[in-house]
Amino acid sequence: MSDHLEGPIARAVDELRRPLRLDPALDARIMAAVAVEPAPRARRRGPVALWAWLARPRTLRLSPLAGLAAAAALVALVWWRPGTSDVTPARGPAEVQFVLVQPGAASVAVVGDFNDWDPSADSLVPGPTGGLWVATIPLAPGRHRYAFVVDGRRWVPDPGAPRAAGDDFDTPSSVLTVGGDL
Amino acid sequence: MTRVLLLALAVLAPCAAPLRAQAGDPRLARLDPAVRPVIVALVDSARAAGLPTEPLVQRALEGTSKRAAGDRVVAAVRRLARDLGTARSALGPAATGPEIDAGAAALYAGARSGDLTALRARRPRQSLVVPLGVLADLVATGVPADTAAAAVLALAATTADDDYLAFRRNVERDIALGAPPAAAAAVRSTAATADAIRKP
Repeated sequence: MSDHLEGPIARAVDELRRPLRLDPALDARIMAAVAVEPAPRARRRGPVALWAWLARPRTLRLSPLAGLAAAAALVALVWWRPGTSDVTPARGPAEVQFVLVQPGAASVAVVGDFNDWDPSADSLVPGPTGGLWVATIPLAPGRHRYAFVVDGRRWVPDPGAPRAAGDDFDTPSSVLTVGGDL
Repeated sequence: MTRVLLLALAVLAPCAAPLRAQAGDPRLARLDPAVRPVIVALVDSARAAGLPTEPLVQRALEGTSKRAAGDRVVAAVRRLARDLGTARSALGPAATGPEIDAGAAALYAGARSGDLTALRARRPRQSLVVPLGVLADLVATGVPADTAAAAVLALAATTADDDYLAFRRNVERDIALGAPPAAAAAVRSTAATADAIRKP
């Protein structure tokens, strides 16, 4: 049995052991064929495809005039910001906790010059005990006027803070002073 | 095509800021249309005068959120603009926006512009936001304006912001416990001054 198999096996082994002679022009022919083949496009979807698209380097051809135009547009975007405040934006470093006791209230919001007096901006959440409403809001150093709005219609000053001097609108506000670099 | 778009951007970009100034602060769109032009004019005038405009915008928004009548909103903003100008004059050209705002609150409470100038003289390199705020708060709690101003000025040279806030809390506590506001402010001012002198 061994003799019967040894013949073909031996020939195969000899064939495999025989040095392979490659055509010297093979490399050039392969590279030429690769060059004309379209590059296969990986079928990626979702975030991977998006990342690949974003990360793929591109060559941007831009005339000096177009470059100037792009720079001008960028400068315009930087300067064209909403609001005209020349005071530091209200949101800042100090975490301030607002607390109000309002048993039976369905909602409580705090409004003031730190959120453009917008009742939908900063809602208080019910605290651990009944009737207690709490919110923690980061505020910039400075003096802030504010009030609470209970159930979307009733304005309540903070009983734990000084009243704002002068009540121009018959609805008292409170004042909070946040210390720091001003 | 791209070049045409970029060229158009380049031409239009310098127009963006003036267009925005004409349109005014977008937050003012919340105001009653009948009132908005007056408020925009007041804000623009303040800006032209170098005054902080954010307090004016906020006062207008406050009145609008509180559903105040338009004439009351205008009156409040106009008065605040005037107080901001007075405060800036009293505090000097180097005053910051928050200092001018706090100064206007103190003036509204009843302080005199001379009090602001004196405070600046005693604290030339420190922020006046907290002392001016404390002054306004004391008046709001019932302390006569001249007594409050005297107390705040007495502490000006030696007192840190945190100590000012502690002073105000002590006065408020004394008043809540039944002390006459003027007496509470005077006594606490004397005590705070003594504490400041004792501190190293």
